[in-house]
Amino acid sequence: MTQNKITVDGQYRKYPPLWPRYVIEAIGCAVILYLTNDIVSFNGINERGAAMAKVVLLGLLKPSLAVILDTSSVGLAYMLMETLAIAFLGTIFGLILALPLAFLSSRNVAPRWVNYICLTIISIIRAFPSFMYAIMFVKVVGTGPFAGVLTMSIGSVGMLAKLMIESIEDMNPGIIEALDAAGCSPFEKIRYGIIPQLSSNIVSTVIYRLDINVKNATILGVVGAGGIGASLIHAIGQGNWPNTSAMLLGLIVMVLLLENFSTRIRKKLAMGE
Amino acid sequence: MFDDLLHIFYPREYTLGNGKVVKEKFNPAPYITIAVIIVTVYFINFTGLSLTKLVNRFHFFFEMLGQMFPPRWAFWAEMKKAMWDTIVMSFLGTAFGCLLALPLSFYLSNNFKLPNWYLKGHKAVLSIFRTLPTLIYARLLSIIIGAGTLSGTISIAIFTYTIAVKMMYEQIETIDMGPYEAMESTGATRMQCITCAAFPQVRGFYWSTVLYCFETNVRSAAILGYVGAGGIGVLMNAQLSWRNYDNAGLMVLVLVITVVVIETISREIRKKLIQG
Repeated sequence: MTQNKITVDGQYRKYPPLWPRYVIEAIGCAVILYLTNDIVSFNGINERGAAMAKVVLLGLLKPSLAVILDTSSVGLAYMLMETLAIAFLGTIFGLILALPLAFLSSRNVAPRWVNYICLTIISIIRAFPSFMYAIMFVKVVGTGPFAGVLTMSIGSVGMLAKLMIESIEDMNPGIIEALDAAGCSPFEKIRYGIIPQLSSNIVSTVIYRLDINVKNATILGVVGAGGIGASLIHAIGQGNWPNTSAMLLGLIVMVLLLENFSTRIRKKLAMGE
Repeated sequence: MFDDLLHIFYPREYTLGNGKVVKEKFNPAPYITIAVIIVTVYFINFTGLSLTKLVNRFHFFFEMLGQMFPPRWAFWAEMKKAMWDTIVMSFLGTAFGCLLALPLSFYLSNNFKLPNWYLKGHKAVLSIFRTLPTLIYARLLSIIIGAGTLSGTISIAIFTYTIAVKMMYEQIETIDMGPYEAMESTGATRMQCITCAAFPQVRGFYWSTVLYCFETNVRSAAILGYVGAGGIGVLMNAQLSWRNYDNAGLMVLVLVITVVVIETISREIRKKLIQG
């Protein structure tokens, strides 16, 4: 009886020993320190760097009104619109490409061998980093937003298809069987059995992807595929801080608005509105 | 038939036996679809998309692929340092970003009794920083502290920090506060309560966040060289502008293999972590 008595001391001894954790932590710290030493040549922020940082930060506080109010093709509004257009069209075309792939790679729609072929296609598309597509499409259709749209479409396929496969495989077959028993035509089965089950998930995925695409659209500009990125990077390179500041401001406002919109809609869809 | 089609746009009305009129629930889907189509058409004109151009010039895509593969294997000796730099950059960026994110995410969760207006303000500031991609930070930092892997590492750390904090505090807000309150009532300090009662509940999620950030950072680190922040992007930019597509092909191949290997390993570990 006495051995079974629970004491604070006894419980404390039962706690697994801590030394493996300490060893792992020490090894982790050693690796990080070694790598830091290996790669980063940090010789202190010199005076030029500090002065530069001051100039940059002060410059960023004074956005250029001329750029914000400019409505021509070098103005802020036009560039933001172009970025939004690239992201929007990229998402729509990505959806169009991803839908058949997603249906064909779902286990409850197509036979096994078709699943494997489509899943392989999706993973090959996903494996390449999206700026590689951007470089290649710039070669194909020339610099400009067209290349950006193509890059975004290909870049969106992987994630859209993967998330859609999940919701397609989660579909309840009972509803379709019930519609079948009620004597519905194939069109009615799709309209009343499949679309209502998938639409909210797919719309939510697409809006989420649109959100991501707008954020990523800046990167495209670096390789000449349109959007606000090129002018932004150029302005930073020139040291034109008022213009940089105006563009950053525009970008931040657009991304925040879109993020807010996307979270709200997705919350509504998840609640079953 | 035509009537049926019209009813897509406005709800049907039914008159019941007792004279009551019942309306179908309003469905906004057709209006949204039409709006999306209009916006798509407008944007297609706006960005100057043309299918004929794409079809006529699409052979360039395969031509370029043909020039890239087979790659020139001899280039490996020159590129391995840059590749290693890219991986280490994203590793260190992830490590520092996630390490700094951990205390702040506890600080910002609304279950530790900080005033709500303060939390909202702090989270809003963080979300402003979250909107900017790594590339912009890298470009700014490469001007301030000079081109090289240091600016790349710091920019990855900043980006990782902002997203890791958000993922973590959203998770921390869902934990069970019972153990925490129990410890508090025994007289433990706030630090002890957090490390022994709150953190163990999110430990698995934290490590899975770290791995997820590492995955995405390796993917995005490759481009940072384009703006002078070190890594493989510098070489890629140079080789592509000299039209050495076979060298670029090797870089793409190595990059893809690295990303796929890291992703596969991390996904397996994350699956285990989430299941506990």
